[in-house]
This record gives sequence, structure tokens and C-alpha cells, in this order.
Amino acid sequence: MKTLLICPSARPAVPHFSESGPLATAPILGACVVSHWIEHLAALGARDFHIIAANGWDNVRAAVGDGARWGVRINMIVSGVEPTRDEAVSRYQSKGESEWLPAPDDVVSMSHLPGCPDLPLFESYASWFAALIAWMPRALTPARVRVVEVRPGIWVGSRARISPTAQLIAPCWVGDQVFVNAGAVIGPGAILEDRSVVDSKAHVTQSWIGPETFVGPMTWVANSLAWGSTLIDWRTDSSLCVPDPFLLSSLSRLQSAATTDRFGRALGAQARPEPNLNLITALHVRLDRGSNQKLPG
Amino acid sequence: MKIESLDECLRISEILELTAVNSAQFQDEVRSALGDSPSVIEINLSQTRFMDSSGLGALFALYRATGKHEGVVLRLLNPMPEIQQLLELTQMQLLFEIVRR
Repeated sequence: MKTLLICPSARPAVPHFSESGPLATAPILGACVVSHWIEHLAALGARDFHIIAANGWDNVRAAVGDGARWGVRINMIVSGVEPTRDEAVSRYQSKGESEWLPAPDDVVSMSHLPGCPDLPLFESYASWFAALIAWMPRALTPARVRVVEVRPGIWVGSRARISPTAQLIAPCWVGDQVFVNAGAVIGPGAILEDRSVVDSKAHVTQSWIGPETFVGPMTWVANSLAWGSTLIDWRTDSSLCVPDPFLLSSLSRLQSAATTDRFGRALGAQARPEPNLNLITALHVRLDRGSNQKLPG
Repeated sequence: MKIESLDECLRISEILELTAVNSAQFQDEVRSALGDSPSVIEINLSQTRFMDSSGLGALFALYRATGKHEGVVLRLLNPMPEIQQLLELTQMQLLFEIVRR
């Protein structure tokens, strides 16, 4: 069976997502938008996928590969503009062909997650966050073996490391290879994407922490989307590039990966990861003290 | 930066940024103005476009310095949304009264 996926082009309401890469590759609960759709449609019997991408098609291609991981074939179609559903049907579906998935899964615009057409992803940062919270119970599909629901409403990646004194409050999602340090409070309404770190006594509530993001000790992230050093209040759309890496920063030193600190790159050079000068200073002081103690002897 | 004392109120305004560059100067100037023992200290942040941990540290130092005097009200006026985010990220809004006028 065939299906046609339309990648959403830039959306002005979510500039930090739009300006930094194709929206179809935005990370959601351990996978990108297009991956969630392929998995969903493959489960419905689709084997031939045609993906229409208006911009960043190479990033989309890099995210999905040739489809072998889902046992499907993927054909990329580069388009100048994002077509509507009707335009896509008239342009790419031949009349009388019966090998397409039944409507509406024959042509899908990936501006929402599977099964959530009433929760648009890219209308605002608030709608993005609402869609993710609603998607959490559906994200644990049989194909995902690295995430476990440890308690009702609490999902944890199998390679996550959580301090026994950290507190997880439902609903919350702790992705794969996430590290949660002592005394941290995660939830309610918290999503920690893969490889993020929440340091001791930090609080994350009603917020989304992007992949490879460091939340510093005693930092409070509430009602926000945080990715790299960028913090967006999803209630007001106000955004901030946090100047001090020990509060919030990107853990990635390589800026080339498609899913690395996309918010930060959208904000420009300010968001480049910097060494934690305070930490370095503290270490020097400690070393100096150590050497001073030894000198009298 | 402008500091003016009216009755028992100390008003600090025209702070364009509060960073490692000027936080020590901010602390010195405010401390010297504290001699009059004001009962209200208002810091107008409406023009403050950038603040880092040194700036937050300067505000915290002011909180500690005035903490010795009971009944002193510390007020932050009209912070820009970005500065408000930073204050919330570090829970500084628990120490200061944040007011919009």
C-alpha cells in the first residue's frame, strides 16, 4: 500500500522551530515527527512512502533513511512549496489506483501527530506543548522497546539514570539516556527528551526539555520549552538565550547533527555552547587551595 | 544608571544591562545610597535588555544587604519578558516583589 506524507513548511507562529530546520524532523518523545507518522502508517499496512518536502528535504532524508528500519520504501519528492492535500492528490495520485491506503491516511499533512488531528503542532508554542502532553500515552508503541511505563503516567527510557532521591510526578516522560540528579523534581507535565541532563534540585514542570540539553542545579524550568541555551515561555512566546551555561545549555559540542540545538542556531551565534567559566574558576580555586595546603608541609 | 531618593523610597532606573561588566559598580553605587535607610527600594528594569548571573548576583547581594533591616521592601519594576524568564528560572521572583505599572 502507498501513502503520501506532506512535510509542513515554515510556520511563523513557531519561528525557533521553523528557522532552524524542517518541522518534520522536530524531536518529539524520542523520535521526530516524520518517524512517528511512518511508524503509525506502516502499522496500518503502508509499504511505499512518498514524502513531499518543500525545504530541508536532505534533513528529512537523513532522519528517515531509506525506510529499512520500518520495513518500508521511501521516495523523497522535492517541492517548491508545501502542497495542500487536494493539490497533492491531483498531482501525485493516479486516478483509479487502488493500492493507496484508505483516506484520510492516503495523504497526510504532518502538521499534527497521528490520531490527534484536533491538536495542531505548529500553530503556537502552546499548541506544540499541548500536543506533546496529549501524545505521551500514545507514544509507547510496541516498536519502542527502550521506554517503559514505570508507574501510571510516568514513562522512562531503559537507559535513563535517575537518582533515588529525584521525584517523578505524573504525567512525565524521561527519555533514553537521560540523567536526573539527586533531589530534582520532574513533572507534572514534564518531557525530557533523549540525552538531556537535569542536575540536582532542579525543577521541571509543565515544560519540554529538548535533546542534549543541560538543566543546571536548582534551576526552575516551568511553562517553557528549553533546547540548548534557548528558553521559550510557551504561554507568552517570549524567548531568551540564557547567557550562563551552568543554568541552561546545550550538551552537544557538535553543531552538525540535525537535531542538535536547533533553537540555539535559530537565535544565532549567541547560542553557541561555551565553556562553563564559573565551573572552571571554581575548579581553579579548589586546585589552588589544594596546592596551598600542601605547601607548608 | 540613575539613583534617586524620594522620602523613604530609593529608586534605581536606567539600567541598560546588568552583567559582569557593571554589576560591581551597581552594587557600590546602590550600597552608598542605602545609607539613608530607605523603606522601599524600587529597581526599574524596564530598560534592562540583558542580565547574566553576575547581574542576578548583584540583585541577590542587595537582597542580603537589605535583609538586615526589617520591613524593607524590594521591588523590581516592569522587567522585560526575557528578564522575567531569567528571574523565574533562578527563582529570584520569590525574593523580590515584581510589579508592573
